[in-house]
Amino acid sequence: MKTEFFKIKTAFSFGFLAFTSSTLFAENIIATKVNSSFEGIETSNIIKDLKFTEISVYPQKTIVLNDKSVAEKNSQNISKIIKVSAIYNDSDIAFVIKWQDRTLSIQEGYKTDIYGDGFAVQFPKDYSDPKKLPYIGMGSENREVLVHLQKAVPNIYEPNGNGNVELQISRNNTNYFDEELKQFDQNVSNLARIDYQKSFVSAGFRSLTEIKDDSAKVDMNMVYNHNYGCWKGTLSRKLKDEYINLNSPSFPVAFAIWDGDKNNRGGTKLLSSWQTVTLDGKTGGEVLVSEINNIQTGNLENGKAQFKANCIACHIAGEMKSAMSFMAPDLTNIGGYASSAYIRESIIDPNAVIVPGYNRNAHKNFEWYQIVDGKRISTMPSFSWLDENITNDIVSYVQTLKTQIKEEKK
Amino acid sequence: MSKRQLAMVMDLNKCIGCQTCTVACKTQWTNRNGREYMYWNNVETYPGKGYPKNWMELGGGFDASGDIKAGTIPNLEADYGVPWDYNYESLALGETMLPNVEPTWGPNWDEDVGTGSFPNDNYFFYIPRICNHCTNPSCLSACPRDAIFKRDQDGVVLVDLDRCQGYRFCIAGCPYKKIYFNPKISKSEKCILCFPRIEKGLPPACAQQCVGRIRFVGFLDDEDSQVHKLVNKYKVALPLRADYGTQPNVYYIPPTEAPVKFDAEGKIIEGSNRIPAEELEKLFGSEVHTVIKTIKSEIAKRKVTGKSEILDLLIAYQHSEMFRLDNNYYNNIAKSKGLNAVAPVDQRYLKGLNTKTVSHFSLNAGGGHH
Repeated sequence: MKTEFFKIKTAFSFGFLAFTSSTLFAENIIATKVNSSFEGIETSNIIKDLKFTEISVYPQKTIVLNDKSVAEKNSQNISKIIKVSAIYNDSDIAFVIKWQDRTLSIQEGYKTDIYGDGFAVQFPKDYSDPKKLPYIGMGSENREVLVHLQKAVPNIYEPNGNGNVELQISRNNTNYFDEELKQFDQNVSNLARIDYQKSFVSAGFRSLTEIKDDSAKVDMNMVYNHNYGCWKGTLSRKLKDEYINLNSPSFPVAFAIWDGDKNNRGGTKLLSSWQTVTLDGKTGGEVLVSEINNIQTGNLENGKAQFKANCIACHIAGEMKSAMSFMAPDLTNIGGYASSAYIRESIIDPNAVIVPGYNRNAHKNFEWYQIVDGKRISTMPSFSWLDENITNDIVSYVQTLKTQIKEEKK
Repeated sequence: MSKRQLAMVMDLNKCIGCQTCTVACKTQWTNRNGREYMYWNNVETYPGKGYPKNWMELGGGFDASGDIKAGTIPNLEADYGVPWDYNYESLALGETMLPNVEPTWGPNWDEDVGTGSFPNDNYFFYIPRICNHCTNPSCLSACPRDAIFKRDQDGVVLVDLDRCQGYRFCIAGCPYKKIYFNPKISKSEKCILCFPRIEKGLPPACAQQCVGRIRFVGFLDDEDSQVHKLVNKYKVALPLRADYGTQPNVYYIPPTEAPVKFDAEGKIIEGSNRIPAEELEKLFGSEVHTVIKTIKSEIAKRKVTGKSEILDLLIAYQHSEMFRLDNNYYNNIAKSKGLNAVAPVDQRYLKGLNTKTVSHFSLNAGGGHH
């Protein structure tokens, strides 16, 4: 991340389209092939005239976190549209993500309760079976994901393990004055990492683990455009590394954004469902694209009736609040970030995807899973006995459970 | 729950509010690297707003049904107070002494204020506070990254800085607001019960330096430790705000001794006590009445017989009896993990024999004495 990301005050030459609700159905992202390198891509000409795909991101509602201010500031959140473009060359792939955020938030200074804007890009480690992708919320057991995160947080002094303890004392505890003290301050500030860019592997929410060596090296940047009140994020990485191989005709990707002004961080975010990317010029990725973007058709009216009969005793979903809080994952926005295959799998085989979730002790009356012989067993019984048509109807209805898309004019 | 639980007892009858513990902790751990505003140990005046300001009203902990309660993350300026310093260097040049930032709040902002009308019924007492190293820590339950853990060997609650992502849900979750956000490293940090000292045979710095000798340190399952005797045997030490549901492991001898009140004519009201019982009940639960009764009857017994084990404990004759650490125990853990067992730097507080006799899993042993 370039440190000037918050200093930029002039408009960029890329045309910013109004963020309106022209996208109702997921669209495939086509990565065009270029020959240039992706060095300095955030300001490079190669991303000037890209074609952007509109993608909806929805407020994460599955779990409720325990910060009062988050509840107050995010209760009215509806979905947002982000614009995504991708390019690739022989070795690398790059994404450009643009989203509107009229409140620039940077986590800086000696403060305890401010948060930075940010974005993340998630890839599944294995996408050979598009019906069994990792859980969208940072993967699931045996279905790992790789997450790249960039936050608007300059100057982080993480414990560096270099043993430079002489620079880790209070400046008041040094015996320096004047020039020597200035030099000490300078040496300390040189320890700062000015880029809050992290990569993680994860097998489910709560298991997220940072990759601290260089094995998942990426370049991420965030540039804020004051004229348009929007962020442009870039990510460039190798098509293939020891974690994932994206050198394939098509692959899934997911995006998340955080609004620091609304105290967004961690699970308080807006996220997309699994999206598909095809590498232009390669053939054979159609199955994955159609499977992931598949919209289940069915009788919505019957789906709703069946949903009410079978699901809402445990699950809260929008206005359907007969279930007790924390009893089961909240399905209010599930249609916004889950694929039809995932919804179907969860109904038929609830044990297929069980994420560690929040600490079970946080809501111990309703444990979402039990540990039996070292395996997580879902509290939810299987609904595989439902007639297939009924399941189809429920899946098609559950896909409609999502907040409206934000109508925001320029 | 951990296998064993190290605990601390603080005798509020003897706390004089000198803040030596605060300074011991500050110079040991929090005077640098983004921790400047933090007080892992503070001594606050009760009644008072405390530190951070109004911490009891900021949420966190568990409700009666066991669900974690939402909380608020305190603001640095309004609730903690930005640490300030003065322009000492410029005083010799004739300048006026001024703080470098406008002071707004601090760890002892309302020290000695108290309540009531002087001289009739005004009162206050001190409550030193550290992390309670709870048996059911709500900071741990609130963390969406599994970055907080409770050590199996002694129940010390620690933040794994490798896993912490600085989300601060732990701060919202802790009802005591004893976990803090370090803005310099963008991670949470908290009292570590001086575990590097404990493992080497030294009590936590706050306990070692306490001039009033109000702090006892030991394992709850160690029947020879004074902590065990005060908490479990004589039941005169109570946790603070146990109603938050986190099962805290710092215990307090409630303030049983307070001056009498005066009436409008300035005459003594016989049998009165300036500290309202309902205030003590709010802090320490309804058991506080039993504790006060026990201690008062022990005082009476001592007057007649000259004997009282409880009062002997509370007099705190010897550091070596007040602190009962267990270096053999820690060394054995280190050995079992293939680590180098560290030689103790101080032999006075080591007993280490109890590890051979105490069952860590019996119902009477370990953390959950509630």
